Amino acid sequence: MNVPRAPPAVLQNPGFAHYSVKWSPFHTTRIALASSANFGLVGNGRLHLVTVNAGPGAGTLRLDKQYDTQDGLYDVAWSEIHENQLVTGSGDGSLKLWDAMLNDLPIRAWHEHTREVFSVDWSNIKKDTFASSSWDGTVKIWTPEHPRSVATITAHHSCVYQALFSPHQPDVLATCSTDGTLRIFDLRAPAYVASGPTTNNFTNPLSASALTIPASNTEVLSIDWNKYRPFLLASGGVDKAVKVWDCRMVKLGGNETGAVGGNCETQLLGHEYAVRKVQWSPHRAEVLATASYDMTARVWNTMPPAGQSQLMYIHDAHTEFVVGCSWSLYDEGVLATCGWDSRLNVFRI
Amino acid sequence: MERVKQFAGQLVGSSGVGALQRQNPDDVVITMAFRSPLCKARKGGFKDTKTDELMLELFKHSISQSHIDPALVNDIAVGTVLTPNAMYHARAAALAAGFPDTTGVQVVNRFCSSGLMAVTSIANQIHAGQIEVGLAVGVESMSQNPDMGGPEQSADIAAHGPAADCKKPMGWTSENVAADFNVSREDQDAYAARSFQRAEAAQKAGFFAKEIVPFAAYQVDAKTGVRTKVVVDKDDGIRAGTTKETLGKLRSAFPQWTPSTTTGGNASQITDGAASVLLMTRRKANELGLKIMAKYITTAIAGLPPRIMGIGPVYAIPQALKQAGLTKDDVDLYEINEAFASQCLYSLRALELDDNKVNVNGGSIAFGHPLDKHSPFVEDCL
Repeated sequence: MNVPRAPPAVLQNPGFAHYSVKWSPFHTTRIALASSANFGLVGNGRLHLVTVNAGPGAGTLRLDKQYDTQDGLYDVAWSEIHENQLVTGSGDGSLKLWDAMLNDLPIRAWHEHTREVFSVDWSNIKKDTFASSSWDGTVKIWTPEHPRSVATITAHHSCVYQALFSPHQPDVLATCSTDGTLRIFDLRAPAYVASGPTTNNFTNPLSASALTIPASNTEVLSIDWNKYRPFLLASGGVDKAVKVWDCRMVKLGGNETGAVGGNCETQLLGHEYAVRKVQWSPHRAEVLATASYDMTARVWNTMPPAGQSQLMYIHDAHTEFVVGCSWSLYDEGVLATCGWDSRLNVFRI
Repeated sequence: MERVKQFAGQLVGSSGVGALQRQNPDDVVITMAFRSPLCKARKGGFKDTKTDELMLELFKHSISQSHIDPALVNDIAVGTVLTPNAMYHARAAALAAGFPDTTGVQVVNRFCSSGLMAVTSIANQIHAGQIEVGLAVGVESMSQNPDMGGPEQSADIAAHGPAADCKKPMGWTSENVAADFNVSREDQDAYAARSFQRAEAAQKAGFFAKEIVPFAAYQVDAKTGVRTKVVVDKDDGIRAGTTKETLGKLRSAFPQWTPSTTTGGNASQITDGAASVLLMTRRKANELGLKIMAKYITTAIAGLPPRIMGIGPVYAIPQALKQAGLTKDDVDLYEINEAFASQCLYSLRALELDDNKVNVNGGSIAFGHPLDKHSPFVEDCL
């Protein structure tokens, strides 16, 4: 399984635990890193912009720029419309839009979430739109031009760890939560389910979801949409298992809401602690990368040829929790991982 | 540090105790729990108080102890077993006590667990979003409504063995348990004596005073027949100085059924009493600024043959633990109904529970078992 590979390119940012890593969709060698001091438990945050330089092996990493924030940064997303812009989500509930051509200060800031913003995602279909998810239970939809959020989805009654736009449908978004469920929302559908015998809006107003997937009996920390197979989602969380969900039974656009479903197609077992991040390969439909509190990142083949293992590769060069991973969009098989050990590793599978 | 807790939860896993301790606005929580003194039937403090009068007193205290406007209570569930016309009494007493006519009332009966069922019913209604605030009570006057055993059964039903067992006296089931599972008279007496001793110590330490609300009761002068109001504020069934030896001298209560190990001393007393629990969502409790005492987690229902009905805990406890995602060692305190020393002791043995975690302040053997009042308190501790 693990054939000898070149050692990873490494960048150390002492004092900052990395929370999220993303490759630029515009520049082949640019990486953004969202980080927090004191392991993100208390204190300030920092956005790092990194360039990968060609060289022997995986090349070398150079820190280009950094931006400091008042509270820890938990996630970052590159703009899909502007090559130099990115948005970050912070522990204080704020969102900030940065321009890599400028220094020090964000070009815009929003503050509506009442608790930690744990994920941000830029739609790659409606390229002027991004979403944030928060521990306050909501998902908010934004455009850079508006001073206020465009829409708020009361997605769960507990922390929403991630919200991600579908790569195939412009108005479809998936979430995962402390409550153990994934939910798929159709932003065109009615905002709230009418109260009825099977729903409960009397005390618990929740936005209507097109599909709820009971994915785990503990927290689900990360999800990702497969880029090739519509309505195939991967999830990972506290139960240590990575699961692949076929959600094609979802009914969109209609008035039918509140369905429960999801067919667990595959389970990938092996991580020894919570799975913190899952990401499908942008190049191969069956390949998935995962990052875990067990200090490893792993690469899986979700549909291995008969007789072969699902597990393709274990990256164990981190010395603390691995919380982020991101596939290069241009260079097939190149993966970036980041963790609480202040390290960014870039390597080829 | 909410943030630290959240991250720690991701790491250690959020099943088990950690998951239960997490606070969500949708949690069903208890903001008030109290009980009346427990008094010996036909001899004790409530012997001349009618059932509806006991209910009235219970509802009045529920209103005053709740610290909320009674109009906020959407529904009341009353657990009671023997009370005839219970629904009439319950609704009328609630109105007379000061609950507005907009507050609903229901009666539930699952014999000894009726009080628990009242809590379950209210908690489920809150979970389902049908109500936001509910009161669960249990009330029983075994003085006024003695247990006369089951009613006459029709021939078709009596022909079915287990069905016929349903009307048999409780004492018979205790002897069956003692015989089937080899629980000796000596062990039962020892268990019962410890229950008395623990209850006595708890009473002296003032533990019960904190959960008891003094109740106004009527007492009839035996000579003049005049009814006067008195205040009852203490359990009167706990016999101080009870030992295994004193219990050992008692005669068998049921010589007609072998092994005849059950006595008046190692069975629960026949008792009058009442208890009340106010439940609501955590969201509502926070909005009203109420102190949250406990969180309701789950109730398990398990059936078993009527002839050994007392060992229900053997089946229900593992099921409740499973539903809650706990192991038996996660639980610090168990309260198991002591209908009879035989069934309680066997349940302890079968479940291999740590003796020092079960009924630490005594049980029904010591302070009585007014069929359903006791049960809400079991829930409190979960």
